[in-house]
Amino acid sequence: MNLVRRPRSLAVAHWLAIGWLGLVLATGLLAPWLPLPYPAATPDLLHIAAPPTPPHYFGTDALGRDVLAGLVAGARRLVVLSLPAVGLATVVGMAAGSAAGFWGNSRLRIPVALVAWLLAAGYWLAALPARTGITGCLLLIGAASSFFAWWRTRTTGPGTGPTLAVPLDSLILGTTAVLGAIPRLILLVALAAGPPLSPTQLLGLLTLVAWPETARLVRAHMLRVRVQPFIEAAQASGLPEWRVWLRHALPHACQPLYAFVPLSLAGLVGLENALAFLGIGQAPDSVSWGSLLTTIRQDPTAWWVATMPGLALLCTLLALQQVAEILKRPLILK
Amino acid sequence: MRQWLLVRLGRAVVAAWGIASLVFLVSRVLPVSPEQLALIEMEDLSRQIGPATSNEVAASQQAVRQRLGLAAPLFYATRTTGPAGEWHWHGLHNQYHEWLSQVVRGNLGKSYLDGQPVTALLGQALAYSVPLAAGAASLATTLALALALYLARGSGSAGRTLVQASLATLQVVPLFLLALILLLLLANPAVINLMPLASHGPAPNLLVAAGRWAVRAALPLLSLVLAVLPALTLPLVASLRQESSTPYATTARAKGLPLGRVLRRHLLPNALLPLFTTLTDLLPTLVAGTVVVEVVFALPGSGRLLAEAAAAHDYPVVVAGVLLLAGVRLLSLIAADILYFLADPRLRPAT
Repeated sequence: MNLVRRPRSLAVAHWLAIGWLGLVLATGLLAPWLPLPYPAATPDLLHIAAPPTPPHYFGTDALGRDVLAGLVAGARRLVVLSLPAVGLATVVGMAAGSAAGFWGNSRLRIPVALVAWLLAAGYWLAALPARTGITGCLLLIGAASSFFAWWRTRTTGPGTGPTLAVPLDSLILGTTAVLGAIPRLILLVALAAGPPLSPTQLLGLLTLVAWPETARLVRAHMLRVRVQPFIEAAQASGLPEWRVWLRHALPHACQPLYAFVPLSLAGLVGLENALAFLGIGQAPDSVSWGSLLTTIRQDPTAWWVATMPGLALLCTLLALQQVAEILKRPLILK
Repeated sequence: MRQWLLVRLGRAVVAAWGIASLVFLVSRVLPVSPEQLALIEMEDLSRQIGPATSNEVAASQQAVRQRLGLAAPLFYATRTTGPAGEWHWHGLHNQYHEWLSQVVRGNLGKSYLDGQPVTALLGQALAYSVPLAAGAASLATTLALALALYLARGSGSAGRTLVQASLATLQVVPLFLLALILLLLLANPAVINLMPLASHGPAPNLLVAAGRWAVRAALPLLSLVLAVLPALTLPLVASLRQESSTPYATTARAKGLPLGRVLRRHLLPNALLPLFTTLTDLLPTLVAGTVVVEVVFALPGSGRLLAEAAAAHDYPVVVAGVLLLAGVRLLSLIAADILYFLADPRLRPAT
C-alpha cells in the first residue's frame, strides 16, 4: 500500500510537456514503420534547399535531404541512443556512487584468499609477462591464505580470516575527478575525434560522459542515508552487508534521481546534438536534429531547415525540464 | 591552509595528466589510427604518380610513420596482436614517453595537417579566444550579481517572475542552439543585422581596432553570457533569500536600513561564498563554449581550431586542446581559492 502520493493536479504546461514527450517517444519507436516518402539520409537532388511544398512538406536542406524525414530520424536517435545512454549512465552511476558512499574506503573488506585467486586468474587470462611464475606465486598466496582462514575458522570461529580493505571511495572519486577534469563537451569532442563512431561506440561514449554526475549525487545522498537508524537496525538483524546496501540503503539513496534523470537526459540530448552540429565522429548517413541544424550555415536563407529541428529540440528540452519539476514536487502523506 | 591548496592543486594536475593520457592513448589505438589515414593518403598520391614496387610503398609508409612520430611502439609494454599474444617491454623508447616528456618541456608536437607547431597554432587562436572568454566571464559575473540583487529584493512581481522564468528556460537550452538562434535573429540581413560584414584591412588606430572587435564579438559574447548566466544567478538568489531570513538580517532591517543596503552590505558577502565554487567551473565552461560559439559565428579562435582539428582527426591539436582546458581549470581553481581567502578572513592562511 502506498502511504505517500504525489499531488495530482498538474498545470497545463505539464500536460503539454508529457504530451510532447509522448509524441517524440512514439515517433522514435515507430520510425521504421512510418510511411515516409523519403529516407532521411538520401538526398533528393531535384529539390535542393526547397521551401515547404507538397512533395516535401517541411522542405529540404542544402544537401537535398527531406526535413520531415530528418525530424523523424532525430526522434529515432533520441529514443535508441540518448535514452539507453541515460539508462546505462544512471545504473552505472547509481551502483558506483552508492557503493562508494556505503562502504567508504575501509568498510568493504574482502578475504585475502579471494583477492589472490582472482588476481591469479586475471593474470593468467591477460597473458602478462612471466605468466607462469607470477600466477604460481599468486596461487601459492591464495592457497596459503585459504588454508589460514580455514584453520582460524576451526579454532576461533567463523569470519576471522585475513581480509583486505578495498579503497572503493577513493577509486570511484578519482575516476570521476579524471573524467571531470575537462568540460563534458570537450571530452566528447576529443574522444570522438577519430573515425566515424558506430552507434554502440557513441552509446558507450555518452554513458562514460554522463555517469560521474549521477554517481556524485547518489554518493552524497548515501553518506546521509548510511548513518540512519534503520540501516543500523538492518545490520543488527544480521542481514549480509550487500543485502543491506541493495534492499535497504539503495532505494533511499536514489530518491534525488527521480528529478535528476530527466535533467540528465536533457543534458545528454543537448550534448549529443551539439556533437552532431559540430559534425565530429558522425557517420556520413546519420541524421539528427543537430546535423540538420548545421546545414543552415551553408544556406542562411533556408529558414525552414533551422526552425523545425530547432523547435523540436527546444520543446524536448523544455518538456524534460517540466517533467523534472513534476517529479521534484514534495510527496504528500495520504 | 596552504597545504590544503597544494593538495587540491596536486589532485587537479594528476587529473589533467590522466585525462590527457587517456585521450592520447585512445587517439592512437582507435580502429583507424592517424597513421593509416596518412597511409591511405600516401597510397592515393603514389597511385597518381605511377605503379610503385611493394618495397617502395613500404619504404614510403615507413617514412610517413617516422614523420608523424608513429614508428615507435605505443606504450612502455605492448602486446603483439594475434591469438598467442605476448607482452614486450620497450623501455623508454615509446610514443607515450616521448609525448609526455615533450609536453613537460612545453612542446605540444606538430599538427598532422600542415606540420606547424601546435603551440604556434594555439597561440594565434588564443589571441581571439582569451578576450572573448575573459570578457564573457566578467560580464556574466557582473550581470549575475545585479540580477540576483534585483530578484532577491522581493518575489511575485511580474518583472521578477518573467526574469526568473526566462533564466530557468535558458538553463536547459544548449549553447549551440542559443548561438544559432541569436545568429539567425540578430545577424540576419532579413531581420536585424547587428553583425555587419567585417571590415578588413589594417585599423588606423587602436580605438578603431577595439571598436571593430567589439562589433564582431557582440553576439558571441551575448550567447556565452546567456549560456552561463542561469548557473551563476539562480544559486545566488536562493542563497540571498536564505540569508535574508536570518536574525542578523532582521536586525539590520530593524535598525532602519533600506532593503537595498542590507542586501548589498550585509547579506551579499555571506551569500557570495557558494558563488566561488560555481566560478571554478565558469572559466572551463566558457572556454568549452567558445568551441561552439566560434564555429557558429566563424571566428578564428582556439575553440574553432579544436573543433576543426577533431573533425579532421588532427590529434596533436586535439590533445593540446584537452591540456589547455585542463590548465584553464587549474587556473580557475587557484582563482577561486584566492577569492575565498579575500572574501572570508576566517579562511585566510595563518602567517
